[in-house]
Amino acid sequence: MTMRIASLSFRYGRRAPWILSDAGLVLDAGDVVEVTGPNGTGKSTLLRLVAGLLRPTRGSVEDRPRIVGYAPERFPSDQPFTVAAYLRHMAAVRRVSTESIGRWSERLGMDHLLGQRLPDLSKGSAHKVGLAQALLAEPGLLVLDEPFAGLDAATRAELPRIIGEISARGGIVVASDHQGDLRYFPGLRRCEVRDRALRELDPVDPIEDAAEPALTVLEVAVAASKAQDLADRLRAEGCTVNITARATREVAG
Amino acid sequence: MTAMMALARFRLAGYAASHRALQPLIALLALLAVLYAGSIPAGQEIAATADSAAMLVPVLAWAARGLLDTEPDEQRSVAISALGPKELAGGLVAAFASLLVLAAIGEGALLLRLAGSPTLTVLLAGVWLHLLSATAGLALGALTSRPILPSPAVSTIALILGYLSMLVLSMAGARWLTVPVMGWMRDAHHGVLLSGLPLITVQSLLWPAIGLAAYTWLRRTRP
Repeated sequence: MTMRIASLSFRYGRRAPWILSDAGLVLDAGDVVEVTGPNGTGKSTLLRLVAGLLRPTRGSVEDRPRIVGYAPERFPSDQPFTVAAYLRHMAAVRRVSTESIGRWSERLGMDHLLGQRLPDLSKGSAHKVGLAQALLAEPGLLVLDEPFAGLDAATRAELPRIIGEISARGGIVVASDHQGDLRYFPGLRRCEVRDRALRELDPVDPIEDAAEPALTVLEVAVAASKAQDLADRLRAEGCTVNITARATREVAG
Repeated sequence: MTAMMALARFRLAGYAASHRALQPLIALLALLAVLYAGSIPAGQEIAATADSAAMLVPVLAWAARGLLDTEPDEQRSVAISALGPKELAGGLVAAFASLLVLAAIGEGALLLRLAGSPTLTVLLAGVWLHLLSATAGLALGALTSRPILPSPAVSTIALILGYLSMLVLSMAGARWLTVPVMGWMRDAHHGVLLSGLPLITVQSLLWPAIGLAAYTWLRRTRP
């Protein structure tokens, strides 16, 4: 099944600025897509639109798989339930058997948390609960907002395997990932949200990347007011950037 | 159990376990203590029932808003990801169920303070009026809930003004322009409520229906 995002534009209100403008993306069964981009450019908004939590202002999201799993960036732990009670309620809402709770708690390394109350959880533990509820019902579309943030090493290693399994059975996974844990996921598609546009990036070549190509130093002269912006963009591309204060007009000339 | 009912149960459980459920309950108990300080003389049953139903509306609206607002916004997103548009119905069903409990407490207190014993017709009319009251409370509570009015101050003022407008408009006799809560009381005190109940039912359900339709429409862009 192919899911299509067509000419999608979004803003939060009639007078609010556009967050996304005329974005398009075709997602095939089994696709794993990493959404990148600087902070505050609309990655989370895009994920919410993909998951169907927000309605596009213009354009459409077509043929979204029926079962959607969504794990928010910050799990809302201010709820009066234990982890087990919360997941039992979510299993009932998802109409799946409570057995899946045991399976996912084991895989995410959160068996020992089941009896704890949600407000008492650490950030990373709460994050696992958010992932578990999204995975309960074997989603056809899994949307993960910064899924690796705050996770322990074992779960960081397990999550790409879980994503791989969902992809292997034809599910679509869309995730934003600042930590870069998905970077070398086989067949990963990468999209960048910047300046209201959604752009597909070239896939990372793991061999070329792993071989640590020789570095070179590039001198760039730029107006002081634009230096930070350019530096951020280059850092997002994976460059190491040092801003020096030497203002030398001659170089520009 | 359907997914929507499971969500309603989850929300009721969360509401019952949070402090929010206590606030309208305490307000209700205080209201009942004032209303029924003395017993209700025989023959006044239907009038007292109408007074109760009319005065419960703001308490029920507050309770409905409280239930809908208990869940953190991100949890509502999780519910939408699981259920889609049915998430909205799950919230309204849970809120209405909580209002039925409060309305039943109000009705129960009323029955305990009756000097005479009411006829079955009066009893059923009383239950019916409290259901109308719960429907009005549900619509007002939903329209002032956080997705629609994010500011708590604005939402509280809107809830109070919503109820006051019901009182003022229905006191002025504009029965089709609002939920005619003053009409319930006036008709009951003049002994014409039972004969006019079908018409007053239509008048009392019209605005809650419009209100809930508006809530549904507004929620499309306010998840």
